Amino acid sequence: MERFVYPFSAIVGQDKMKLALVLNAIHPAIGGVLIRGEKGTGKSTAVRALARLLPELTVVADCLYRCDPDASESLCSDCQDRLARGETLPRARRRMRVVELPINASEDRVVGAIDIEAAIKSGERRFEPGVLAEANRNILYVDEVNLLDDHLVDVLLDAAAMGVNVVEREGISIWHPARFILVGTMNPEEGDLRPQLLDRFGLTVDVEGIKDIGQRVQIVERREEWESHPAEFSERFAEQDAEIGTRIAEAIVRFPHVVMPAGILRALAELNVSLQVDGHRADLVGRKASQALAAYRGVPEVGVPEVNEVAEMVLAHRVKASGRRELGTIAQNLPSASRASRS
Amino acid sequence: MPFELTLPFTAIVGQEQMKRALMLNAVDPAIGGVLIRGDRGTAKSSAVRALARLLPDYDAVEGCPYHCDPAIPSRYCDECRRRASAPTLPSPASGGGNRLPIVRLPMRIIDLPINASEDRLVGSIDIEAAVRAGTRRFQPGVLAEANRNLLYVDEVNLLDDHLVDVLLDAAAMGVNVVEREGMSVVHPSHFILVGTMNPEEGELRPQLLDRFGLCVDVVTLTDIDERLRVMELERDFLQSPRTVHEASAEREARLRDLLQAASGRLTRVSVPEAIRTLIARLCLDGSVAGHRADLVVARAARAICALRGGPAVELPDVLEALELALAHRRREPLTDKQAQVQELASRAAEQLAQIQAATPSETAPSVRSEVTQQEGASGGESNEGWTTSESRESPTNEAIEPESDAVIQLRTFTVKKLDPSTKSETKRGRYVRSSQTERVTDVAFDATVRAAAPHQLSRRQAAPDSTNQLQLESQDLRQKVRERKTGNLIVFVGDAAASMDAEQRMLATKGAILSLLRHAYVRRDKVALVAFSGRNARVVLRPTSSVDLAERRLERLSIGGTTPLTHGLMTGLKLIKTERLRDPQVYPLLVLISDGRGNISLFGEEPLLEAQRMAGQIKQEGVRAMVIDSTRDFGSQPGYPRNRVTSLYGAYAFNVCGDLAERLGGRYYGLFDLSQSSIVDSVQREMLRTGSA
Repeated sequence: MERFVYPFSAIVGQDKMKLALVLNAIHPAIGGVLIRGEKGTGKSTAVRALARLLPELTVVADCLYRCDPDASESLCSDCQDRLARGETLPRARRRMRVVELPINASEDRVVGAIDIEAAIKSGERRFEPGVLAEANRNILYVDEVNLLDDHLVDVLLDAAAMGVNVVEREGISIWHPARFILVGTMNPEEGDLRPQLLDRFGLTVDVEGIKDIGQRVQIVERREEWESHPAEFSERFAEQDAEIGTRIAEAIVRFPHVVMPAGILRALAELNVSLQVDGHRADLVGRKASQALAAYRGVPEVGVPEVNEVAEMVLAHRVKASGRRELGTIAQNLPSASRASRS
Repeated sequence: MPFELTLPFTAIVGQEQMKRALMLNAVDPAIGGVLIRGDRGTAKSSAVRALARLLPDYDAVEGCPYHCDPAIPSRYCDECRRRASAPTLPSPASGGGNRLPIVRLPMRIIDLPINASEDRLVGSIDIEAAVRAGTRRFQPGVLAEANRNLLYVDEVNLLDDHLVDVLLDAAAMGVNVVEREGMSVVHPSHFILVGTMNPEEGELRPQLLDRFGLCVDVVTLTDIDERLRVMELERDFLQSPRTVHEASAEREARLRDLLQAASGRLTRVSVPEAIRTLIARLCLDGSVAGHRADLVVARAARAICALRGGPAVELPDVLEALELALAHRRREPLTDKQAQVQELASRAAEQLAQIQAATPSETAPSVRSEVTQQEGASGGESNEGWTTSESRESPTNEAIEPESDAVIQLRTFTVKKLDPSTKSETKRGRYVRSSQTERVTDVAFDATVRAAAPHQLSRRQAAPDSTNQLQLESQDLRQKVRERKTGNLIVFVGDAAASMDAEQRMLATKGAILSLLRHAYVRRDKVALVAFSGRNARVVLRPTSSVDLAERRLERLSIGGTTPLTHGLMTGLKLIKTERLRDPQVYPLLVLISDGRGNISLFGEEPLLEAQRMAGQIKQEGVRAMVIDSTRDFGSQPGYPRNRVTSLYGAYAFNVCGDLAERLGGRYYGLFDLSQSSIVDSVQREMLRTGSA
């Protein structure tokens, strides 16, 4: 693990990307974020920086999958067995980590495989967990997700959608929880993801290089400062980072209590129907993302501004090419729609 | 799969037809499963997983890995057969016979992940037993677990081809035959096959399609209130799955009871002769392939009738069953669903009246009892999935093999293999199975261990000092066979010169490229576009599978003056060569769309001669090609000579494009006799032709 991570609050610009990451941190069920854009726009820096801010998790200390001892319904089968035997699960606190999936990863590394050592030494058939196991309750970061072999993307997004990894291969038959914040990046110039797979990502943000000269200078300056004096630099932003961390922690607590007015939900559904978005994920993600935003802002009730702000992230990859032009007018559509539904 | 992670069935909003189809299968597993097609994010998988809680319990032989049905000895696995017939110790309880111990099991949903390996699907040697004790024991796979259960394949259209083959075999025979690693096992494998898929991702092989008894298409709900309910349900479920389950516990229990009562009633529901005749006629009229449809419709109609508690199948039952059973079996898809369904209903009513009029005595109540009796017999057989008290008492159920004619039907059906996946020579791709090769470069460890397993005892005796439990020898090594969708690369070399004059020609070309691209998306092909005009050729679109990107680039494509044909061909070839460096397994096809009137020289020679030479070179490189002539219209010029013209300056009618096609070793088409869709067809044909060669 790196000793110094570039501070989150020191990242210049790219507010949308940062917001999308924060929303997922507040409510992982949003379903991850796909960051589309050029190289060198601070994508991986932001992800790593975010991980450091997140509150610690309570885990079962010796569980391979870091199960949550308080969520009995999503325990792995090992932990369930232990509970059934009347054991108390040992607790520990862990930081969230960024688990990286390299694009040349093989399928057995992703889903897990038979443990070769155990098989040779003792003839035991044991499961060696893969990246999906490691990613449980962490952040899974896939750079260039569009270049990943098709079947791996299938596996990955299947697991992400179900929150479970089912393994039936190499003589192994097992399932384990795989709930993670999925962050993918891609450069659209190199080919698209299939719509089916795009849809599985909760949010998308398009990032581009910053055009503002002042900001560009600032980026270079900060980077140089950080590289030469990482300790001082981190110190300088520690307070701001801590503040964001606290806000996220508070938002997590607040999230379930944020009121979602029926009129807003209705407006959301109407909007998605009118844009002819396939499936219901747009509704579901829109609800969660706007609620998370309200929690982050400390607003007690979700309003039109929150929905507006997340609408583009929710819809950008779900609206068909023909509908893309209409997307620009959401801001105008939404208030009238919600007013109409209230009346 | 953990119980609490799935929604309760009754909580799922809307999608009545999907729920209905699933329920019918719970009432009568012999209906043969259901395929659910539809948009992404429409609760397909959720509904299937939720069904688990509604499935009935069944009696099974205790300790049998295949949960054999104690009431149907003809379907016993070898072990149960041995246990049943062996002169075992007379147990006092069994009263002399060899009655097998019975255990009550819940019917389960067995997942087949699309990345499953073959050994897990069919079962393989038990490594632990082999290595530790040196015994050759069978470790049952998914097909064993699935016996008398429900086998669920999510994204079934993405399932590997060879897994599909195995699955089809098992589904057709009701048994799984394993011949591998020195083991020979046959075990029963009767399962309800349930699959979900998004048609955008590619179609299903017709053979597999026909295996599904019913098929429903689900669409996104457009009713705002329903959508609101979906959102609220999700919120509640995320907050506390337990609460959602508790809230719907009563409804779930009621539905479960209803389904169980219906399946108990099933054998008493009669299918009147007139209705049977009607079903046969309707299936015949409905342009349906195969006989399975008749069977499925009859069974589904009976289940529908049982669900509503009726004594005998009536017309509305048949109509509903028809809709569910024929959706995927019609040779031609419905164009106007609502109208056609209504028309079918009225036609069916008419026919039924005719049939009844023709045989008045048949429908009389006195005959009904006979029909009921017949039905009772076949009803017992159809309860193959689990045993109700009725069918256990019915001795006739073993004699009937309802699937046999359907099997024959299936076997004569041949399907052209369209799948672009190829065996991958490199270490990339999905590990699908293992093989024995001379030089092993990519060790399939699991297969190696399995191969070594049976010899462990003797080897350990030979080398008692070794600390390793597993003794490997070189002949055990197995190579991984990997499969990867390599896809094709279609490079269009398009004429953007002014001689392509008419704008509609350019439009036709653009249209063709776009429609090809959409096909390519499903097949994971890549498309690139080289345009030539003025004094050079440009790569307008680098190899991509992005429809959006191609669309934008095509829109911007402009038309220039002269025709640098050679430049175009050379750029196309260069592009293909670069792609080959990147991925040696790419399968390129060059499509030249031009009038062939090259008039710009690249090497300072006669432009046409240059183009011809370039064409020869492309052929030498082993690149497949085809030529679409933008000036030719074969439709209006029947019998246009395609023969090779040897003299370059010979006739006015010299067919430049035909000549180029010849030199390229590819086919030759005219643009205007090819509508856009038929350009797609011809390109696809081209791929198949050379692909199979």
